[in-house]
Amino acid sequence: MATIANSGAATPAVRLSPRVGAWLLGCAGALVALAVWTLLSQLLAHGGGVINRLPTPLAVARKLVAYAGKDLASDLLASLHVFAVGWLVGAASAALIGLVLGRSDRLGRTFLPIVEAIRPVSSIAWVPLAIVWFGFGLTSKVFLVGLAVFLVVIVYAVDGSRRVPADLERTATMLGMNDRQRFVSLVLPGTLSEVLIGSRVALMSGWGTVIVAELVAADSGLGAHLIAVEQSYDVPAIMATMICFAATGFAMNAAFTWAERRMLPWRHDREREAT
Amino acid sequence: MKVQTETPHPSPLPARGESEHSAVAERNDAQRGELVVERVFHRYISAGREIDVLHDVSFRIEPGHVACVVGPSGCGKSTLLGLAAGLLRPSGGMLRFDGAPVAIGRNPHLGMAFQQPGLFPWMSVRENVAIGLRTRGQTRRDARRIADEFLDTVGLADFRDAYPSQLSGGMAQRVGIARALALRPRLLLLDEPFAAVDAFTRLKLQQEFKALLRLDRPTVLFVTHDVPEAIALGDVIVAMTQRPASVQRIIPVAREDRDRASPAYARKLAETLACLGVTSDIQD
Amino acid sequence: MSERSRSLLARQVALPLVGVACVLAIWQATLVAYRLPAIVLPSPLAVAKTLVDLVQTSAFWRDVGVSLFEFFAGYAIGVVLGLFVGMLMGEARRFRMAAAPVVESLRFVVPFAWIPLTILWFGTSYVGKILLVAYAVFFVMVVSAARAVAQVEPTLSRVGTMLGMSRWRLAWQVHLRAAAPTLASAARAAAAIGWIAVVAAEYIGASAGLGLMITNAATSLATSVVIGGMIVIGVIGAGVSAVIGALARRWFDYR
Repeated sequence: MATIANSGAATPAVRLSPRVGAWLLGCAGALVALAVWTLLSQLLAHGGGVINRLPTPLAVARKLVAYAGKDLASDLLASLHVFAVGWLVGAASAALIGLVLGRSDRLGRTFLPIVEAIRPVSSIAWVPLAIVWFGFGLTSKVFLVGLAVFLVVIVYAVDGSRRVPADLERTATMLGMNDRQRFVSLVLPGTLSEVLIGSRVALMSGWGTVIVAELVAADSGLGAHLIAVEQSYDVPAIMATMICFAATGFAMNAAFTWAERRMLPWRHDREREAT
Repeated sequence: MKVQTETPHPSPLPARGESEHSAVAERNDAQRGELVVERVFHRYISAGREIDVLHDVSFRIEPGHVACVVGPSGCGKSTLLGLAAGLLRPSGGMLRFDGAPVAIGRNPHLGMAFQQPGLFPWMSVRENVAIGLRTRGQTRRDARRIADEFLDTVGLADFRDAYPSQLSGGMAQRVGIARALALRPRLLLLDEPFAAVDAFTRLKLQQEFKALLRLDRPTVLFVTHDVPEAIALGDVIVAMTQRPASVQRIIPVAREDRDRASPAYARKLAETLACLGVTSDIQD
Repeated sequence: MSERSRSLLARQVALPLVGVACVLAIWQATLVAYRLPAIVLPSPLAVAKTLVDLVQTSAFWRDVGVSLFEFFAGYAIGVVLGLFVGMLMGEARRFRMAAAPVVESLRFVVPFAWIPLTILWFGTSYVGKILLVAYAVFFVMVVSAARAVAQVEPTLSRVGTMLGMSRWRLAWQVHLRAAAPTLASAARAAAAIGWIAVVAAEYIGASAGLGLMITNAATSLATSVVIGGMIVIGVIGAGVSAVIGALARRWFDYR
């Protein structure tokens, strides 16, 4: 007696693959945000309160293009230079020190509490001290970035050097490895892979430190440019520079995540993804 | 079969038969408490692909009967239960309880116990059982009292104030069942409720289960992969095919089939297994 | 005390103390060996003395008060908004897909990059700092809340629906409570980031506050004040984190 009564199909009338749907909604959301932005800038353009200098997205885009044509490359390079050096120094020293402190019980118990106490104090708090010590040049910025990266990676290095999975240890015993062989084949690779992951997590804090260092020192790089255009009240240029900074951070993060997945496919640990 | 009204009763807990008729009682007697699944189709989208889960499933469960749904893993038994509970909307076909279609979302006539007990970890055992009653309009005091009574029925009176993290798997399952029963449902849905406990606890829970149903005699849809369990508990066995699942056969279970020492049991077991495509002896 | 517990106590307490002593010793030794003037590296004793002096001045406490006020105001705003939007993203799939690109891209504009703009718009007053902290905290909470709500055990949602909860009630009474421990951790992380955002903003342009005090000291090469100020930053940061952690554990952690 009953025919197939379609009591409300679960699928909508227009069948879109979920990924396309997500894309469309995302674009819609972005467009809405841009529209709100434009609206706000129009509303505030005629003496409407504190933020009376909100340029339209278009104005910012134009400034971005102009900047790209002129100094963007050199500023970006300067900032990246600072970042790269600081990041390498920080990661390398964290790897070394982490390895030592992780493997030696005594040394670890002696010095790790100090590291733990200092860790919450972001390297940004060190900016004035760095400037007193090293002046405004490259050294102070590298020190700050290195410190920021060090503080993040050290945890991963210590963890990695300690946590050789139990079953690998047992296999090593079964195969009759001596201490040196164990170190080379188990501890070192384990530590290095954790250090790599930590280095990727440290990307964002390191890159953020670059900008603060450059904002205070203001001699070269994107941060310096930011201060310069701020002093000339050029809001579109300020926003354009901010976008450059964010885009670079995004690109580095994406590149690193890709590289990490290629090199360490077994270690895609959700816990460790950067906030 | 008489129908209970929605008004809460003060203690002691009345059995169904003592309630008064309501307007719903005007309905045809044979339909009250009857679950009808009519040519139900269901598909869902997973990882970009469409998967047909249920294909032309039809059966009826008599009021107050226990129907055990058995079938191969992943054949859609849980989906069927979700449809009966109104947690999902069927892609095609209809489910009706007591003559009325199963609504999507809230269905005050039913109670369900899930495969994972699903207890709220921030609430005590008693609060977990009581919360359903509160959402359905009971006062705090009445809800707690009723919760205590049902916890007593499942033998967990001493654990009223314990928290879910302190319970074993079997105990948590019992709380889940108490929670469902405390709603005094006319349709009770159970999704492999004894699957996550060890074999000994399972046998014990099976024995207790029949006793629990005697109070209200709800219509029960019980999903299990354990055929002996189905024979022990069911008035009827709904044997499903592989995915996309439909009903292979509906096998009635008589009283004498439940005695595991009897030839009747062996025959029923063999019959059901054969229906599911499994031979009941293992050849060397 | 037994043999074992004595050696355990020795290791857990004594060794870190040895470490601290080592660091202080190296500090003092570097100072002497390289004959560094006090404006470069003051002795540990000098720093300690400076701290004692600072704690007795009212200007110091005024600065600390300003910074803490800016932090807490911004933190409260950021947490509430972040939780709300994050939960919305976790509950409503469509909203999440629409908002995700905007949230994700803004996330990469670190709070520090906004500092010059806030100074331009709001001057060196506290308003800009509060908004900055709110921004920083908001993004930490939004991401965490969206993820946490989406990862609530599905059975709990089904149970709630079965028991007759509306979607609204389900979101507040079940999802939020289930996600609470994760959210509490996020609140702690957000506090750390918010606090450092205040300090950084004050380094760059402020009329009052701890950061300004330190920057001024750096300019006049009062290095012991700089180091002392950094210690204060660390201590306050740790204190705030501990308080939030303790509160969170009391209220939200059912584990």
